[in-house]
Amino acid sequence: MAPTAAKQKAKLPSQAFLAKTFHWVNIISLVLMTSSGLQIYNANPVFGGREGWHFPKLLLLGGWLSGGRDWHFAVMWLYSLNLFAYGLYVLITRRYQHRFASSNDLKAARVSQNEKRKNYAWHRLVYTAIVPILLLAIASGLAMYKPAQLHWLAALFGNWQTLRTIHFITVPTVILFTLVHSLLALKVGSIRLIKSMFL
Amino acid sequence: MSLILPKQSLSRRQLLQWSGFSVAGALLSGCELNRFSETVGQTFEPLNQNIEALMLAQRPVPEFPVSAIEPDKLLINTFDSTPQINPAEFRLTIDGEVTHSMQFSMADIQKLPLTSMVIRHVCVEGWAAIVQWGGVRLQDLAKLVQPKNDVRYAYFKSADGYYESWDIASVLHPQTLMAYQKNGQPLSVDNGAPLRLASPIKLGYKQSKWVTQVTFLKDLMPMKGYWEDQGYEWFAGL
Repeated sequence: MAPTAAKQKAKLPSQAFLAKTFHWVNIISLVLMTSSGLQIYNANPVFGGREGWHFPKLLLLGGWLSGGRDWHFAVMWLYSLNLFAYGLYVLITRRYQHRFASSNDLKAARVSQNEKRKNYAWHRLVYTAIVPILLLAIASGLAMYKPAQLHWLAALFGNWQTLRTIHFITVPTVILFTLVHSLLALKVGSIRLIKSMFL
Repeated sequence: MSLILPKQSLSRRQLLQWSGFSVAGALLSGCELNRFSETVGQTFEPLNQNIEALMLAQRPVPEFPVSAIEPDKLLINTFDSTPQINPAEFRLTIDGEVTHSMQFSMADIQKLPLTSMVIRHVCVEGWAAIVQWGGVRLQDLAKLVQPKNDVRYAYFKSADGYYESWDIASVLHPQTLMAYQKNGQPLSVDNGAPLRLASPIKLGYKQSKWVTQVTFLKDLMPMKGYWEDQGYEWFAGL
């Protein structure tokens, strides 16, 4: 019995302190950004205009439009600086060399017979894809926040309604990615992997 | 409907009722968080404003072609009622810390050079419209009254009781107009006739309609603006 237990203990995944920090800050800031963002959305729904469908109060942060904006423009610093710090971390520690999906993973996801390898490939693909989505949320948000000063950025998104839609679509996308990311993490490393990231 | 009115802030009793009924503590904490909104705003707004001031340049914001105008997109927001003004009797007063206080009739104003611009009008509610505005630059009016050197703000008073205040750099921006024309037509009463503020660098609620008085001042008064006094940010730069 004893040797087996020791073996299992040794296999427990461990995560770098900074990786845990980025995950925590990211989750907290995304929850605050989304709830305050939905408050702003409700002022004039992207889909259907003033008469469009409004999100229930339960999901909103800020109490009214001004309060929602207060939160949104405060937490944007937390959210984007966290992502920026993460970028530096990945660059400095050279994690980008082996943490992101490569053509090998693409191939493995398609043809690999090894179930474990397949899961791992999918996990890395999803993990990689979430980064540009998070950046897109910042870019489209900035374009709407300062469309006069950053008119070139706003122009990249076409017209105003497209810009609003893209910014809005990042929300369900991020939620979906988070779910898939968590499920794949569960598949790849079971609950121990999830625990290792947050505890 | 006007700029999404603040909900009557949660009364203590309501809050207690809610907490009594609430099963999920998490939801309650959401309500609690709402009460900190203004504190959060006041903490971060100076940072945001400094960045905005850094970004604020006196160079014009690029304009759109006339074909890009979206006549149906400009919604009408008023905080109260629409004032009836006789354009023949209308006078715009410009006073405060200036060398010459002056009054202008619409005829006086229309004799001054007309500036036309096609810009994006952005509302705090999230919608936007590309609009053509025609009018006189506030810069040109300021040249006539000559604000003193240490003037830092301008206050705008409207016929419907609306009031606003702007920083002087934004007031003197080359695309800040006292407009009397919209999409090539004379300005309609609903849109602020005879005279309103129009600008590509400020959110819509800064662009007062039915302006009757511009007062240049050294200091910001406690009442900064109708919506600002309810919690909207003051600088509101785009």
